Amino acid sequence: MSDEGTDVKLHVQNISLSFGGIRALNNVEFKVKRGEIFAVIGPNGAGKTSLINSINGFYHPQQGAIVFDGRDISALPAYERAKIGISRTFQNIALYTNMTALDNLMAARHIHMKSNLLTGALFVGAAKREEVEHRRKVESIIDFLEMENVRKTIVGNLSYGLRKRVELGRALALEPTMLLLDEPMAGMNVEEKEDMARFILDIHERQDMTILLIEHDMGLVMDISHRIVALDFGQKIAEGTPSEIKQDERVIKAYLGQEA
Amino acid sequence: MVAQPHVQDHPRALAADPVILRSKETFQFDPLPPDLDTLPKHFLARVKEYGDQIAMRKKRYGIWQEYTWNDCYDYVNRFCLAMVDIGLKRGDKVAIIGENDPQFYWAEIAIWAAGGTTTAIFTDANLQELAYIVDNSDSVYLIAHDQEQCDKALAIRDKIPNVRKVIYWDDNGMWNYPTDWLACFDIMVDEIKPYADAHPGLMESMISEGHGEDIVLFSYTSGTTSLPKGAMIRHRNLIYGNRHVINLAPTYPTDNYVSFSPPAWITEQSLGVAGHLITGVVVNFPENASTIQNDIREVAPSSLLFPSRIWEGLASTTQMRINDSTWFNRVLFKAFLPVAYQVINHQDNNTHIPRHIRALHHIGESVVFKPLRNMIGMTKVRNAFTSGSTLTPDQLRFFRAIGVELKNLYGSTECQSHTLHYAGNIKLETVGPPAPGVEVRIAENGELWIRSRAVFAGYYKDEEKTAQALDADGWFHTGDAGYADADGHLIYLDRVSDMIQLANGEAFSPQYIEGRLKFSPYIQDVMVVGGSDTHFVAAIINMDFDNVARWAEKRRISFTTFADLSQRDEIYDLIKAEIHRVNQTLPPAARLKKFVVLHKAFDADENELTRTRKLRRRTLEQKYASLIHAMYHEIPEVIVCAEVKYRDGRTGILETPVRVCSVDAE
Repeated sequence: MSDEGTDVKLHVQNISLSFGGIRALNNVEFKVKRGEIFAVIGPNGAGKTSLINSINGFYHPQQGAIVFDGRDISALPAYERAKIGISRTFQNIALYTNMTALDNLMAARHIHMKSNLLTGALFVGAAKREEVEHRRKVESIIDFLEMENVRKTIVGNLSYGLRKRVELGRALALEPTMLLLDEPMAGMNVEEKEDMARFILDIHERQDMTILLIEHDMGLVMDISHRIVALDFGQKIAEGTPSEIKQDERVIKAYLGQEA
Repeated sequence: MVAQPHVQDHPRALAADPVILRSKETFQFDPLPPDLDTLPKHFLARVKEYGDQIAMRKKRYGIWQEYTWNDCYDYVNRFCLAMVDIGLKRGDKVAIIGENDPQFYWAEIAIWAAGGTTTAIFTDANLQELAYIVDNSDSVYLIAHDQEQCDKALAIRDKIPNVRKVIYWDDNGMWNYPTDWLACFDIMVDEIKPYADAHPGLMESMISEGHGEDIVLFSYTSGTTSLPKGAMIRHRNLIYGNRHVINLAPTYPTDNYVSFSPPAWITEQSLGVAGHLITGVVVNFPENASTIQNDIREVAPSSLLFPSRIWEGLASTTQMRINDSTWFNRVLFKAFLPVAYQVINHQDNNTHIPRHIRALHHIGESVVFKPLRNMIGMTKVRNAFTSGSTLTPDQLRFFRAIGVELKNLYGSTECQSHTLHYAGNIKLETVGPPAPGVEVRIAENGELWIRSRAVFAGYYKDEEKTAQALDADGWFHTGDAGYADADGHLIYLDRVSDMIQLANGEAFSPQYIEGRLKFSPYIQDVMVVGGSDTHFVAAIINMDFDNVARWAEKRRISFTTFADLSQRDEIYDLIKAEIHRVNQTLPPAARLKKFVVLHKAFDADENELTRTRKLRRRTLEQKYASLIHAMYHEIPEVIVCAEVKYRDGRTGILETPVRVCSVDAE
């Protein structure tokens, strides 16, 4: 199906997505390279979140294909895509608010658990060993994201910035090879944003993770991403390095209006 | 003896005639045997003695990871040889900046073993401070905890040309840093292993060359008045400094110590590192700074020494938590706290405790105080000390009432512990009698002088300051003011230079009033001003934002920011009531007449506090001169301008009106 070299992690092939008469995405096409931090920018309603939803399988575009690791995954449901290594966070945080941060991360390990209902309930032998192993993974994520102090705190009681961090932790707990981050820094103060940017860079550096993120803070996007694609009304209007994007006439127009 | 502290414990004028205080306890202090006259020698002795028993615990990944004495030996030995391998020589200086971690302890012991001198630096030191201390101490290596500290080191690289290598032990985020100047602790100890295995006894032979008179560390004094100076501490000083205390506050190898005071503070070096090596106490390292409270609770340590700030904070949060608790808990607490106070009064007066009070107190113990102590991790605490600035009697009484026998300890960087409370010798308003082996002299001007085997060797490269502080007879001039009471206890007043003259000519300690005010859960910090040229005492108050915000929320008082909340009428009324309460306990001339609630908190980053969070009075007086002026000149409101730096590098001016308020006299 695909003819890409191994350095392409994700290929979004001319996808179009409509909701009734509304075109959310129109013939969008780009490639994300392995080990790259790739940003998607665009004004409100440009189709950024629809794009992420199409990549992780919440939406199924009517046209085009999503090729991940050289394989067409367009037909796979979201949970299958999670298993092959695509993991995401949400714009409006979607955690189990009545569970602790730790339990939220442990829940994400579910897709890697092998014990069945019976052995899990009895908590013997392999099931117990497995639980310990998963806990070890989760603790290393807690350590990595510096969340030790909120480990046992109910997520509903955490600050917004910390919830975002828990959500990132949960995405990592799936052990993905590609992370989709939907506005990871929205609504944060400067310090929280800088922390989050550092975590994203650390994850990228440490695990050689491919990251696709949507973000509105242009300063941060320009700082941390390698390449950027700009959308407007569901169309790709530009693609390039941060410095190219900054100069791009159409991007400036989309953000500032015709007069600029 | 003291019935009601507020009746008679306000400090009086400075003592006039010189007095020398000594401990009534008799302890023999033998000269140090040559095989135990340095700390690394103690380390070897402990390793031999305890081998596979636990020496340290560090909480990581949610679990207390254990290290035996043999494990510690392994790390220390290998790091020592690795440092020698890259060029560390006897007499070299090494600076360390980092949080409390096993690696911090190991690195220090390893460097001492090789005959080096260490300088610990506060982790929140800014670039300028870090560069100054590294340069001033002539450090040739810098051991930096993590990415944050390494970034600082890299930023000042050209200002610290003598530093040959920076060694970090937490490699988070450090994967792609250049390695020409940076090295990783773990990699160093891994790579040296074959060499270390092939050369047993190498570190031991270096240790045997050490001597009790060698300088073990430079401890930079907080410098409330000037640039920090490096106090040179000998091995002998730390060993005796520890002995002076442990005779009265015994520590056993089975005890647990929680290491979280900043290692740049002499206390952590004296009671933490030296205490660990001398007594074999198990050192526990919290997971990180934000989990300390919970970690202390899990460890339930037997010894605790916090700076008074932490105790103040703990008293406030404990009271606040009780206020936030269920009505049932509140009722219980309110019912039994007075009972506990009565018991204390009876104990202090040596009077018989009536049977019904005793019975009530027993009930209170099991339904209120024991669970409360469990909440704050103090179920096993035997030696609870407060140091730094003194706690007020109110605060000490509060902790005693809930069953924590909190004791004052008075000391300094230059000679560690001077005086302390111990069993049978606790008087709330004093800092205790001198430790055995320590002499305290009260000089003609009321200054306290100290002489003991723990007195330091002088300030590094500063003959002039050394001559001012150390006289020919070996007395260290502390610069502190105090006087002795009839029982040979010392009463600490303040820095000599900070004492203020009241309108009636009496000398008075602003710190004393500040301590009283800080007992309020709503007041985090306060600077009291007033002197002979002014006719009353006034104060600049920092509200405790967390507690005040919670208080305001409960009363549906809406606010946006710290500055906004601080200027609300309700908050002024709240603070005024607190001041009014404290005023009742002060002599009339020392009562506060005016105050302002500051729009921001005092901040060490803005040079308003030292890193141990003591007030820098001169700086504050200059910075808030307009506020002080307003309080003394009937000006109702001052616009305070503050420069703020935005992220894009622009600066702007924030203007906040701050109101002056009078406390009504009655």
